Amino acid sequence: MSIVAAKPLEAGVPAERILAQLAERFAAVRDGRDRWGLTVTVARERLRDCLQWLRDEPSLHCDTLLDVAGVDYLAFPGHRGPRFAVVYLLKSTRFRHRLAVKVEVDEDDCALPSVHDLWKIADWAERETWDQYGIVFRGHPNLKRLLNHHEFSGHPLRKDYPCQKRQKLSVNDPMVDQLEARLRQRGYEVVERGEVSAGDPLTFREKSP
Amino acid sequence: MTFKPVPAAVPEVSLGDAFVTTRADAVVNWARRNSLWPFPFGTACCAIEFMGTVSSMFDLSRFGAELVRFSPRQADLLLIAGTVTYKQAPILRRIYDQMLEPKWVIAAGACATSGGFYDCYCTVPGIDEIIPVDIYIAGCPPRPEAFIEAVYQLQQKIGTESVAARKAVGA
Ligand code: SF4
Repeated sequence: MSIVAAKPLEAGVPAERILAQLAERFAAVRDGRDRWGLTVTVARERLRDCLQWLRDEPSLHCDTLLDVAGVDYLAFPGHRGPRFAVVYLLKSTRFRHRLAVKVEVDEDDCALPSVHDLWKIADWAERETWDQYGIVFRGHPNLKRLLNHHEFSGHPLRKDYPCQKRQKLSVNDPMVDQLEARLRQRGYEVVERGEVSAGDPLTFREKSP
Repeated sequence: MTFKPVPAAVPEVSLGDAFVTTRADAVVNWARRNSLWPFPFGTACCAIEFMGTVSSMFDLSRFGAELVRFSPRQADLLLIAGTVTYKQAPILRRIYDQMLEPKWVIAAGACATSGGFYDCYCTVPGIDEIIPVDIYIAGCPPRPEAFIEAVYQLQQKIGTESVAARKAVGA
């Protein structure tokens, strides 16, 4: 076995330069509340273009979407403006920089354009944000709950969700639809299918060639 | 060895050591309480403590509950060790339903008895919301001695049960 040395990382891009470019192109402003890293706020209309540009611009190369996180400012001290925000955490594996892009979301129009086609991981990250905060991602192909049960009602990370409301659930949530699709794609077929919602397993077999 | 037919109308005292007179409850409960087959429903840290309890250092088998089964159909003691979420609750309920009567439940640790420190939307605040519980063990996690004490207490409880009463409720 030979050991291949990793390619040395290229030098980072100064924050001022990123900020200046984002301000010029997308009217993005720095969020002063972020005292440790670099967070910029953009308008919802410019969000997709901004994220796509950050990904494709060779001098920035933000090729990884680390997370999509919701924020509920309902009880945040001194907060003015829309109730929700969504933060996209980006990282460049080439330049090593990290960048957070924040977009404010109104309670009455709780929706954002989906970016599942820019980063594959956005598919699940947006589903989680929808599940926990009730923020809709328009254009998402399969916007259903990711963490909570399908019988669950409400969005539990909203600050006004009553956390002691006990929601009893009647069936097991099998969550096998995506697994099944993936296994089929890889050449497996279902041999036996019990009552899935009751917790019976699916049995797969490799298709004979 | 040959068995001689017992002549009718012989007083019990004259039968020697061949007979023991007792109550049905006593003999059935004696058998039941000393051969508990636990099914560990281990979901979190408390389950590690259960592993200690059944392994050689603490050795739960000294008290007649060593045969850990991983099929609910072969077990009569459901031992919940760990945090149970509402999403898991239907699974727990189904496992309980799959166990045959007679069956008993021990809720081990703060999480299983009360939800522990999880004051949140997803944790069941005590599994007795989902299934009946016979014995609760305090602790986060409880020490193996506490597990053994719980099994001992359960054995005491089984000793007071009545076969007829169980039969009457269809169990
Ligand atoms: S009671 Fe404590 S040790 Fe047991 S599962 Fe809960 S957090 Fe873990």
